Amino acid sequence: MTEATADHAHHDHHDEALPGTIGHVSHWQTLVKVLVTLLALTVITVLVAQVDLGRLNVVGAIGIACVKASIVAMWFMHLRYDKRFNFWILVGSIAFVAWMVGYILFDSALYQDNIREYREAHPLPTRPATPSGDH
Amino acid sequence: MSTGVAEPEKSQALPERPKELAMHFDSLHQQYNAGKLGVWLFLGQELLFFCGLFTAYAVYRGNHQEMFHYAHYFLDWKLGGLNTVVLLTSSLTAAWSVRAAQLEQRKTLIATLVITFLCAAAFMVVKYIEYSHKIHIGAVWSSHFAVADADLPAALTERYPDIKGEDLQRMGMGTFFAIYFCMTGLHGIHVLVGMGLYIWLIIRAVRGDFNRKYYGAVDFVALYWHIVDIIWIFLFPLLYLIG
Repeated sequence: MTEATADHAHHDHHDEALPGTIGHVSHWQTLVKVLVTLLALTVITVLVAQVDLGRLNVVGAIGIACVKASIVAMWFMHLRYDKRFNFWILVGSIAFVAWMVGYILFDSALYQDNIREYREAHPLPTRPATPSGDH
Repeated sequence: MSTGVAEPEKSQALPERPKELAMHFDSLHQQYNAGKLGVWLFLGQELLFFCGLFTAYAVYRGNHQEMFHYAHYFLDWKLGGLNTVVLLTSSLTAAWSVRAAQLEQRKTLIATLVITFLCAAAFMVVKYIEYSHKIHIGAVWSSHFAVADADLPAALTERYPDIKGEDLQRMGMGTFFAIYFCMTGLHGIHVLVGMGLYIWLIIRAVRGDFNRKYYGAVDFVALYWHIVDIIWIFLFPLLYLIG
């Protein structure tokens, strides 16, 4: 691919991009808006965690974290404007992460009874602690 | 010439190549895309690398709810939140440095790179404060965990007045802190590596290495930095917030 045709493929350039620039130039206002959104979501995460929702607390925390991570990936990491292949590398990686966490989580639940029995028969040893003021 | 061998014609001479273009690429655009593909493959691997620790977290959390409940009193969400704000801000300046490199704004480029580095340093300072306090009271990994009753977090003893440090030892709290130190420690090592990379970028930016067609290093280090940020986006609520 010659440089001329390669550059032509990027017709999503903002006006401010210099002629012949490689890649997409993010507008600074967009970047600031992304940061404000991320900070707002951080505040929401903290607030939601204060309320006792039982198991839903984990789901909520991971859900908001996923939204934040997607925003970082799409805008800060330029995936929105990037080659699709890079996007699929990320998605593929996440799929394997989900597979491993999910599979091992289910598997580990199957032998918890054995662990519990063993732990009851062999309690963890304790050792005396030194108060930090004594150091 | 007397030998009669024809001189190579001018038209056969190699076209002039930009000094930044490596010999095995046709164009700077191709060089940039190849570099980016490599970085994305590396980042995909980074997620899998951290995934092992997230799995350990999930397995222990799934099977020992109570341990995580008591443990979260040991972590100060204000310090964790401060570090979240610091890292998110550094992600903005990292993204801005890419823009500055593309627009050939050298002063803005150097400024954003320096701010990103300073945010990373601030993150590590907060991390140091957190780690040193935990080590001081004995809230450390595996069988080394031994916190005296007087050093238990105030919020914990307020909620559970009868709890003793030895109860936490029997509960296996050392395992939580093994996971905590491995996850935040591996993340901290990534922050340190990022700081080194940003020093390298600052030196190159001051030297004037980057331009609108050659800024891959700035972009790729920023991508790495964003992944470090994304990992923290998950670590903060999972470790500090939910109990």
